[in-house]
Amino acid sequence: MSQVFHTEEFANGLTLVAESVADVSSTALTISLPAGVRFDPSGRIGSATVLAEWCFRGAGGRDTRGLNDALDALGCDHGESVSGRHMVFSATQLARNLPSVLEIYADVLRRPMLADETFAPSRDLVAQDLEALEDEPARKAMMQLREKFYPDPLGRGIYGTSESLAALTAESLRSHASTSMSPQGAIISVAGKFDYDQLRDMIGEYLGDWSTPALQPVELTPPQRGVNYIAKESAQMHITLAHKTVTIADDQYYAARLAATVLSGGMSSRLFTEVREKRGLVYHVSCSYNSLKDHAGMFTYAGMVPAKAQETLEVTVGELRRIAVDVTAEELTKAKTQLKSSLVMQGESTGARAGAIAADYYHLKRLRSLSEIANAIDAVTIEQVKDHLKQFPARDFVMLAIGPEQLDTSCLNA
Amino acid sequence: MEFKTTTLENGLTIVAEVNSSAKSMAAGFFAKTGSRDETDEVSGVSHFLEHMMFKGTERRDPLEVNLEFDQMGAMYNAFTSEENTVYYAGVLPEFQDALLDLMGDLLRPALRQEDFDMEKEVILDEIARYEDQPTFKMYEQLMASHFAGHPLARNVLGTPESITALKRDDMQDYFDRRYSPGNVTLVGVGNIDWERFQTKADEMCAHWTPFDAGRTLARCPGAATRSAIADPKINREQIGIMSPAPAAQDDSRFAAQLLSTIVGDTSGSRLYYALVEPAIADEANTAYDMLDGTGAFMTFISTDPARATEAVDIAIGEFDKIMKDGFSEVELQAAKNKIASAATLKGELPMGRLTAVGFDWVYRKEYMPLAQQIELLFSMSADDVMAVAREYDLTKVTVQALGPLEKI
Repeated sequence: MSQVFHTEEFANGLTLVAESVADVSSTALTISLPAGVRFDPSGRIGSATVLAEWCFRGAGGRDTRGLNDALDALGCDHGESVSGRHMVFSATQLARNLPSVLEIYADVLRRPMLADETFAPSRDLVAQDLEALEDEPARKAMMQLREKFYPDPLGRGIYGTSESLAALTAESLRSHASTSMSPQGAIISVAGKFDYDQLRDMIGEYLGDWSTPALQPVELTPPQRGVNYIAKESAQMHITLAHKTVTIADDQYYAARLAATVLSGGMSSRLFTEVREKRGLVYHVSCSYNSLKDHAGMFTYAGMVPAKAQETLEVTVGELRRIAVDVTAEELTKAKTQLKSSLVMQGESTGARAGAIAADYYHLKRLRSLSEIANAIDAVTIEQVKDHLKQFPARDFVMLAIGPEQLDTSCLNA
Repeated sequence: MEFKTTTLENGLTIVAEVNSSAKSMAAGFFAKTGSRDETDEVSGVSHFLEHMMFKGTERRDPLEVNLEFDQMGAMYNAFTSEENTVYYAGVLPEFQDALLDLMGDLLRPALRQEDFDMEKEVILDEIARYEDQPTFKMYEQLMASHFAGHPLARNVLGTPESITALKRDDMQDYFDRRYSPGNVTLVGVGNIDWERFQTKADEMCAHWTPFDAGRTLARCPGAATRSAIADPKINREQIGIMSPAPAAQDDSRFAAQLLSTIVGDTSGSRLYYALVEPAIADEANTAYDMLDGTGAFMTFISTDPARATEAVDIAIGEFDKIMKDGFSEVELQAAKNKIASAATLKGELPMGRLTAVGFDWVYRKEYMPLAQQIELLFSMSADDVMAVAREYDLTKVTVQALGPLEKI
């Protein structure tokens, strides 16, 4: 499968990456600003999340309604999200509407109104999201696990606390916006149907003279780690575990991904087979790979009725370790087919491709073609997977559990 | 894009939208059966059976089934609703035959006692999992309240009691009553080799014995009640508002979709400006659910308990305003653009197109290319949309709350 990639690094630190996708009529756009919650001032965590909401309350001479109406009239399916590292604006539309959508986004990036009267409701929505998180223990457990696992502030939860949100003012947030929303290290990714020359020229015209200085890198403090338990009268116990693995840029990356697939890819995977199919302990158990730039983890989740929690924990930890000893060539072959097949299917979605090339550029400073990835997957040997699992054993877990029952966690250190 | 269809002698219909430029294909068995086709004694059997379909046949044991799917690198799953049970998978085109061999076989399950007993544990855990998701619990209650006395009031998962009491033979009886080839449609989408597709389907399914598996349809005017379930352990108030809407078979379904988008799309709609923008609710949106022989407009609101009643009043006030004063041409155009855009994006993926093509057939025995549907959508006038708003009184609502409040 041949792919057509484009990359343009502008003088102000902004990079455009683009991939043409054949036989589609849509174009997906994502704008990733290095303005995630890790850059939020201490005491005002949640700034980025409120700011992302506030940015859409009018920009460039349009008020909230005008901005929404303009995007709706273009059939633009848009959203904003915040992670530890990025504030991300994403928009998908028919290809012919991309130029008009870009023009509007240039306003959002450079000329957001950030008016006093729209500040409070923007903050209140995030405060409500924080409240709602208490009603969703599975999501809360995973979010808090990341906080405990990664060095602070890399794994920071995106909603802050009720105190940190209350500490925000329109003025402090405008000041934060003026330094955090910068083209330095920003990535604009486009996938689907487009005229590349026109796209590059438009971005140059709209954003080429944008020159906010780069943010200072954050200082890291070691995470708390260990075993954490939050008592809650929920119907299920929600158990989460994290242990260390390699980052995307590492030579062992593909071995790590294949090991994760053997563990948790599909219904014949180790975890699904042993925990659900053979023992009926859970409805949901899974383990997924997650990478930041310099740190990466394997994150495991299982939810079960409390009476089965102890056994689930022990069986799950046992399986996370057992594959290091007895992963088979057949399992590796199957995992390779699964990973490659999901790549091809994901390649049919312009939104997924826009996300994938943005991530490639962020982690690797280059774009990987599907055939490069497929070849790298094929090249991994069973010895490499075993070596990897020996070097990064399922030990030194960070655990976070929410539910009615505190568990015996001695199996984590056995 | 080419449409193909054939019907086997036993009544199983096969439909396919062939797109030879796609890189993958998707296939699904759409069984027209769900919780509305159950009785009290076997509440939850449709969904439990959906799980058991993956537990093997005379030819395959459960672990072999899982292994075969994964060896093809398939993306696969199934879902059960009040009225449909759908088994689906996406694969690269080279696995078309192997996929149909596997899925066609699975649709005649062995239902072994030991697998049944093990899976029962998983179902009970799944019920507990949804207990920890207030939005889902509220939805179940809303359906039960609004459709009280109608088969659509039956919940999909069943209860711990009904599942515990369920016997393997009850499930076999249900299967023998519902999974007639005439009540199942095989749907293919994407890069499909049609000749081989129908040959393989014939090989796998032609021996299925047909029988009558009808369903009695009735409109539901809706209970128009107000109720709250107090749960002090929950922080937020989850509110559902439901009113009658056109059925899946009605020509006014496009107009109904436009109406629900104008009223309650997640952004830029009446409810967005009335509730979300001022942060009275963190979520407020309306969806149009087209059902077999009936339909519903469903609005979800998540709010602070202290503002719950206010939020409901505001929402119903917005419904009333639309019915009285209508909407602007700008709002109508925006709704058309949004729906067309979302359908186009979904349509670029075989897995996205599968349910659209499948349900068009299940409900209306009709195939319509996406381009034609979009054309029809754009041909709708403000009068067409207002006709729906007038015929289906948006303010005749059932309200269901779940959260800290004792009443709403």
